[in-house]
Formats: sequence, C-alpha cells, structure tokens
Amino acid sequence: MSAILELSGLSKSFGGLTVIENLDLAVESTQGGQVSDVAIKQGEILSVIGPNGAGKTTLFNLISGIYRPDSGEIRMDGRSIVGRSPEEIANLGIARTFQTLRIFLNMTVKENVMAAAYGNTKTGLWQSIFRTPASRREEREISELAESKLAFFGERLMGYRWDQPAYSLSYANRRRLEIARAMATNPRLLMLDEPAAGMNPAETHEITELIGRLRDEVGYSILVIEHDMHVVEGISDRVIALDHGVKIAEGSFADVATDPQVIEAYLGYGAASKK
Amino acid sequence: MSQIGVDQWVEQSDERRDRYSGWTAPARRAFDKLPTGWKLVGVLGAAAAFPLLVPQGEIRIGITVLLLAMLALGLNVVVGWAGLLDLGFVAFYGFGAYFYAIVASDQLPAHWPTWVAIPIIVAAAALLGALLSLPSRRLVGDYLAIMTLFFAQIFVELVRNFERLPFVSEDLDLTGGPNGIPGVEAWDLFGFQINSFKRHYYLLLILLVVLIAGLHNLNASRTGRAWRALREDTLAAEHMTTPVNKLKLLAFVVGAAIAGLAGSIFAAVQVGVFPNNFALPFLITIYAAVILGGSGSIAGVVLGAVAIGYIPELLRDPGKAGWLFYIGLAVMLVVTMKRWQPIAAVTIGLVVFGFVVRFVSSAIWDESIMGTANDTFISRFVDGWVLILGEQQDLITNYAFVVAIAGVLSVVVTRGWLRIATLIPTIYLAILVWENKLALQPSITRQLLFGAVLVVMMAIRPQGLLGTRRVEIT
Amino acid sequence: MEFFLQQTVNGLTLGSVYALLALGYSMVYGILKLLNFAHGEVYMFGAFAGYGVLTVLGGSSAPLVPIWLMILLMFVAAVVVSSTIGVALERFAYRPLRNSTRIAPLISAVGASFFLQAAALLLFTANSRSYDAPNLIAIQTGIPIGPIRVWMVRVMVIVTSAVLMILLTLWVNRTRTGKAVRAVSFDREAAAMMGIDVDKVIVITFLIGSALAGVGGVMVGLVFGRVFHLMGFVAGLKAFTAAVVGGIGSIPGAMFGGLLIGFAEAYTTGYISSTFQNLIVFALLVVVLLVRPRGLFGREELVKV
Repeated sequence: MSAILELSGLSKSFGGLTVIENLDLAVESTQGGQVSDVAIKQGEILSVIGPNGAGKTTLFNLISGIYRPDSGEIRMDGRSIVGRSPEEIANLGIARTFQTLRIFLNMTVKENVMAAAYGNTKTGLWQSIFRTPASRREEREISELAESKLAFFGERLMGYRWDQPAYSLSYANRRRLEIARAMATNPRLLMLDEPAAGMNPAETHEITELIGRLRDEVGYSILVIEHDMHVVEGISDRVIALDHGVKIAEGSFADVATDPQVIEAYLGYGAASKK
Repeated sequence: MSQIGVDQWVEQSDERRDRYSGWTAPARRAFDKLPTGWKLVGVLGAAAAFPLLVPQGEIRIGITVLLLAMLALGLNVVVGWAGLLDLGFVAFYGFGAYFYAIVASDQLPAHWPTWVAIPIIVAAAALLGALLSLPSRRLVGDYLAIMTLFFAQIFVELVRNFERLPFVSEDLDLTGGPNGIPGVEAWDLFGFQINSFKRHYYLLLILLVVLIAGLHNLNASRTGRAWRALREDTLAAEHMTTPVNKLKLLAFVVGAAIAGLAGSIFAAVQVGVFPNNFALPFLITIYAAVILGGSGSIAGVVLGAVAIGYIPELLRDPGKAGWLFYIGLAVMLVVTMKRWQPIAAVTIGLVVFGFVVRFVSSAIWDESIMGTANDTFISRFVDGWVLILGEQQDLITNYAFVVAIAGVLSVVVTRGWLRIATLIPTIYLAILVWENKLALQPSITRQLLFGAVLVVMMAIRPQGLLGTRRVEIT
Repeated sequence: MEFFLQQTVNGLTLGSVYALLALGYSMVYGILKLLNFAHGEVYMFGAFAGYGVLTVLGGSSAPLVPIWLMILLMFVAAVVVSSTIGVALERFAYRPLRNSTRIAPLISAVGASFFLQAAALLLFTANSRSYDAPNLIAIQTGIPIGPIRVWMVRVMVIVTSAVLMILLTLWVNRTRTGKAVRAVSFDREAAAMMGIDVDKVIVITFLIGSALAGVGGVMVGLVFGRVFHLMGFVAGLKAFTAAVVGGIGSIPGAMFGGLLIGFAEAYTTGYISSTFQNLIVFALLVVVLLVRPRGLFGREELVKV
C-alpha cells in the first residue's frame, strides 16, 4: 500500500480560531496509476468523525483547494498540491461532494454529470460551433460516460429522469446525483461529505452498500465524513476522530469508538469514566 | 404509495404542467405539433419575404430588429448562459462601430477593404472582451456589474472627449468627438456593395442564421454545459474540473466578438457613428430584449428582439401608436380582471366617469377642453369624453401623470371592488396623459415602456416569454 | 496653497454629498444584497423637489419667505419626495422579488432607474435648471480659512452631512430599530425568527437611505447649481463606487469612500482636467477592488461550503 493522499502538519485558522491544528493523515491506495483492472487493486475507505465544529468540512475544503492551509503539506502521490486551484486538484483525481448539496439545479440530471467531464475532454470552441465529426464523437462519449455513471445507482437516476431538471429530484436522489457527478471527473480519491445526511434508514442502508461498491467495483480510495455511526461502522477500513481540529484517535472503528477521548468529545467530560 | 406509481407520476409531471389552458390553448397545441424543421422554415421564409412585402422605408425597421437580435444573442451568451452580469456590453458594439467608421471613412483617412477590416475588428473586439473579463476573475455579481457599467460609461466619454489622443498627436482626430464620424463607407464584399437597405437586411439575415446555428451547436457542447454549470454554481463547477476563469473569458470574448461585428454593420447602415448611439439607453434596450424573450433561450431572445425592436417603431406613427396603446390597455384590463362582469363594469364606469369629469371641468374652466385631439381614429372617438387641454397642458398632464402612476401602483395592491374603483380614474388619467402628452413624445414613451417592461417582467415572469423557469437556493 | 485649499474644500463638499448617497446604497445592499440602481434617480427627484419649492416660493432672486425657512422647506420637500419614491420602489419593484433569483432584482432595479429617468424627462423636459443659490446667499458670505473664504452654503453642506452621519451612526448603534437593521443585515432569516419584522426594517432602511439621497440632491443643487434629469445616473454611479470602495454594507466605509471619491475628483479636476474625472474614479475603483475585493472597510466573507 502506498499513500494516495498525505497530509502532514496541516494547520488552518480563521481570524484567530484554530480550525485544523497540526494534522497528519494518509489515505492509502494499492494502485499507482489510473483506475484499471479493478478486481485486484483497490483503495481504502477512511472515515472522518468528530462532533460539529471539529473541522471536518474545513479539512475537505483544504484538500480540495478552497482554502489554503496556514502551514503544513498536502501531497497527492507524493507531490504537493498546496496552492493549486480546485479545478487543478479535481483534474489530478480528487473529486468531492458537498455537505450542503451543490448540484446544478437548473440543468438536467444527465447534463449535471456530463458537465463534470469537462476536464477530461478537449473539443475546442470552433469544433463545437461547427460540430465537427471529432466533436460529435466526443459528445457521444461524454453522453455514454454520464449514462454509465448514473446507471451505478440502479433505476433511480435512469430513463426519463435524465432529461428532468435536477431541482425536481428528491433529496436522496440529489445526493446520489452529486456522487455520480463526482465520479464523472474520473477521480482516484473520492471525498464524500456526509453522504447519508438527511436520509431515512432504508436509504442510509443503501448508501452504505453503495460506498462499499464504489471501492470494490470501481476501485476508488474514499475519504468520507459521516455522523451516522452505523454507516461508519459498515464502511470504514479505518477511522480517524477530530475534535477542535486535533486528531484525537485513529484506527479501526472498534478502537476509535471505544476511545475515551472520542467519547468525551462527543458526550462531554467525564462521560467515558461513567460508562 | 406503490399503487399510485411514483415514477409514473413524476414521469407525467411535465405533461401536467404544460397542459395549456385558456383561449390560446388550441393555437399553442397546434403550433407544438408542427415539426421543428417546418417552424424554422416558416419563420425564415417570413423573415426573407419581409423586405419584398413592405415599403422601402420600413425595411429600415427590419434592419434595426435584426441588429438588435444579433446583439441580444451576444449578450445572451454572457448573461443568459454564463450568468455574468455584463453592463458594459454596449461598449463592444460601440467599439466595433467606431473601429469600422475610423478605418472606412475619410477620418484618418483610411479605406480598408471590408474583408480586411471586419476580421480585424471582430478580433479586436474579442480581445477587448478578454480584457474586460479579467476583473470577473475576482468580482462576481453586482461588483462585476458596476465595473462593467463604468467601462461602458468610460467608452462613451472617451469617444466624446478624446478625439485627439492626449500625449500623442494634436493633429490626429480619431473619433470626431461629440460630432461623431460621418460618411462611413458601405461594406464591399469583393466588389459587391452592401449599399441599400435591402442588401443590408439580407446580409444581416444571413449572418444571423449562421450565428444562430453556431450558437445552437455551442450551447449543446461541453463549453455550453460548462457555462451553465458556472452560472448555476461557480464553486461546484470549479470542483468538477471546469476552468472557470477560462470560461468566463470565453463568454466575454464570444459576446464581444458578436457585438463588434454588429457594430461594424451598424456603422455602415447608419453611414456614420455618434457617441449617443452607444449610451445607456441602448444598453437597456438590449437587456429588455433578452429579458423579455427569455434569457438563456436562443429563440426567446430573438423573439424579444423582434418585440423590443418593432414595437417602438410603431410608436413613431401616432396612428399606430394609438392603436397600440388602447389595445395594450384592453389586454391589460382583460388579464387583470379575467371575468367579463368586472371588465364591463370598468368600461361603463370609465365612460360615465369621463363624461362627468368633462362636464364638470368644462363648466368650471373652459380651457380644459379647448385643445385639439390627436388626428387618429381612436383619438377622435376619445375626444368626446376625455379632457384635451388647451392652456396649461404641460402642468396639468404632469400632475395627471404622477397621479396615474400612483393609481397603477394602488391597483396592484388593492382587491375586489376597491380595485375597480381605483382602476376607473387610473385608466381615465392614463388616457388623458396619453392623448395630451405621451403620444406626442414617442422617444420618451419608449424609454418609459422599456423600463416598465423590465420591472414588470421580473415580477410576473422572470424567465421571459420563452425561457424556462429557474430555481435558486440561496 | 490657496488653490490647493480651494480644491480641498471642493472635495470635502462633493465628498459629503457622495457619502450621503453612498450610505443609501450601502444600507440597502447590507440588508437585501441588492444594488439599488434607482438610488441615483431618487436623488435626482430630490433635487427637483427642492427646485420646485424654490420656484413656487418666488425663486432665489425674490424669495417670499426668509432664506433659512426657504432652505429648510426645500430639504423637507426633497426628503418627502425622495423617501416616497424610495419606499414605492421597495414595495413595487423589489419586494415581489424577495425570493427570486439573484439577478432578478438587479434587472428590476435597472428598469426602475430607466423608468424614473424617462419620467423625469417627461415631467421636467431635458433642460437643466439652476437653483441660482448665489442669489439666495451671496457668495461672499462665509468663513475665512487661511487665504480663502468658504462660502456659507458649502459650510452648511459639510456641517449638515457630518451631523446627519453622526446621527445615523448613533441611530444604528444605540436604538432598538437601528439594532434591528443591523440584525437583519447580518442574517435576515435568523432576525425574522427572533421576532424582528423584517419587512418593516427594510422599509425603514429604504426610507432613511432615500431621505439622505434627497438631502444630497438639494445640496448639490445649492452648491453646484445644475439640476437635470440625467444627474442621478453619473452621481449614482460614483456614489455606488464610493460605497464599494469603502466596503459595501459598512456605514463608516460609505462615509470614507464618499470623501475619498470626492477628493479624488476635486484634485483631478483642479490639477489635471475635468475630462479625466470619471477615468480617475474608475481607476480608483479598479485598484481598490483588485487589492481588496470587499472594499477598504469590508469584512472578508468566508466561502461557505
């Protein structure tokens, strides 16, 4: 195993409030290059847990390039990505979803996914204007790519739904669409920000399985923020716990879930000893 | 739940939404059944036949409409697709026009051949567009709007005040200052002179068709998608591998190039350019076309351009303007009241109110009916019960205008009988103001109309005539 | 030195007026995140209202009432007219769009601005009017500062603006309503949940902003004379620039920005040429925005993801 993503000594504060403090973290992956030969090569699923305000989303924002860390390194495949724009980072193979759901509401479901193929396609302005054979071929490929990503979610996002505006989707389907869109950027590391938030138990169960399939069938390394401990338990290879921007525990779900510091962070001082 | 068939229900939701109602329904359904190809042929055929059917002078209106359509399409790329509020758009139009006027007149004097001048102008306009897109890297929304608006303002000031480039040469008169540049030459396409209204019309029509085809393709391409993604959520788009700065630049460039081309034709059509052609009112006109037709929709903005370009031309002719005003009034009455009883009540009330006012007023002060009515069919009819003022016309109609606007606003907020009661004097005053003042000042009326169109459209149908409604979560 | 002082006084006068206008932009923007394009027109109508009172009461050469009363009445009329228009704008052009897309109210504002301009053209024609204030208060009356004498009218403009701005600051910081205004501008939804009548607060904001604009209109009429239907557009553009430069939404920012633009303009006119005026203001805007996109006093907003 080698690290696809590595953070070392990462710190970030906003106006004096330290949100991430001296964080080290690594996401492992068996594969070095592009996703291929999925059966044997696969990444790991690393869950980030912690109470509200622990700095989880900030961590995502630092990795995906929205914020610049105050100090520390973020390396992908050993190369630093600090200071790169979100677009460049996405092109390097890190895709993410958003806790608040940021799909392109007024575009169709299929267009949402197709739009994410921009970085991997190259038809130019003039080719598009004149619809050259090459541009038509590429457009077909984008379309097929989108359909295959949407097909990953079963019948839910298929058929007539392709041409419906994304705002007409249910909440759970929007979350699925966001994942499909992230997949279309052809990433190696997928970052999911609370994928089960706002879902009912059945949907939560489904998303748990889905995240497993994303790793097993497609081979992504996955970094996931999640509050639902059943989901975390179900999917995680490893878990890290954050509190006030500091990593307080790391290891298997069982280890982290029983860690006194973690219990304290969630339930308050003294909770661990009472248990 | 399962019996209803959720998926089926969702599947049919568009149909349910689109089910037409009201008296226009049969026509709209029939139109929908036509294949797209036939519709295009029909519209194109009508556009091509237009100059053959109307008198020479009216072809000029067609040219205005086509130019406006071209500009609206260009603005639509920036505002409708990429979602960048560019209030400097008109400057690119002016830039193209001035550039062409400078290189194809006695101004320098330079007489560049058209096939050399046009590509250079379009490229230069595109470059200017690229330059203006630089602030859009960091500024969004209103900040970008104000900066681009300033840019447009500065452009007009530059051409007006800096006809002699400071620090360069005192002899070089570049822009003609406030007098503009007269005597701009016609396009000459390899010996074929575009020198009549008819030729200009067909040149524009051909360019417009090519432009629409190109933009249609572009809209369906990855670039078009990326623009829309940018408009919807710039941050998410950036995370989905979209190079947002490049695409913003591209949108500005495409828009500016189209505007530059339109400008160079405009200069030739008008045989001259003047600073005021490119001031704020014209910017508002382009925006009105885009918004009215439906920002984001190609067919919509063309339709918007036809409406915005054509209606004001009607205002120039008092006879047609009168019809327009009264028909508009009637339509608005029907739309706000819907049922025939209140409509009848308002109409009868209006005439009675009119006669009473006229009777009382003429008894007190006979100047109030001493004016001569406008010499049009309806105006003669109206003359019987509306005051046509002799003396003090300006002062009294001014007050009537202000009160009429207050009346219109109160109609918006009142309901039921109160609304009818407010409507009667409001309509009366509106007619009074129209007959005494507005009909005589078509250019001001046009400005009022455009401003009102923007406000009203935003309130009742922000997506425009042919646009699709957008949702936005803030 | 004399010339420099003259230009400084000029800049201070101009800046005071811009600041008053900029406050209107800034307050409305703070609350609605709306660029109220029609604000310049509100100011223009204020100037015309002042002119109307002046004319009805005999004009500046033969005033029918004492001069102090005349000027007071002019201000009152301007405040009434401007705030009526401002509140009407809010009610009819902006309120229906409270929950629509971001771009809709802006287009509506552009339309309203254009409509008001045309209305003014219709009502007052394209001729520019003059208050002819030197006839009302002789240009020689004033306060001597070093080698120059500052005309009484200018003194009044500067002092009045300063007083109004102090009052506004106190109002926003000390009174219940002022605090409600700040709460709404901070988070409209949360404020509504805390029992603040948001609609009322918005109306009050428009009322105050427009009233200040009306006062500014009369001031410009008094000092610089010319009143015409297009005066709102350019002044509005500059005042908005002032608000942006100062940091939109920030009240001290608007004041500072207004003064800055006023000085920049006065010195440009004095030392270079009046044709460069707008260019310089524009350049100032570009530079400030590129260096500090939220303006000089603006708070850097975090990207919420």
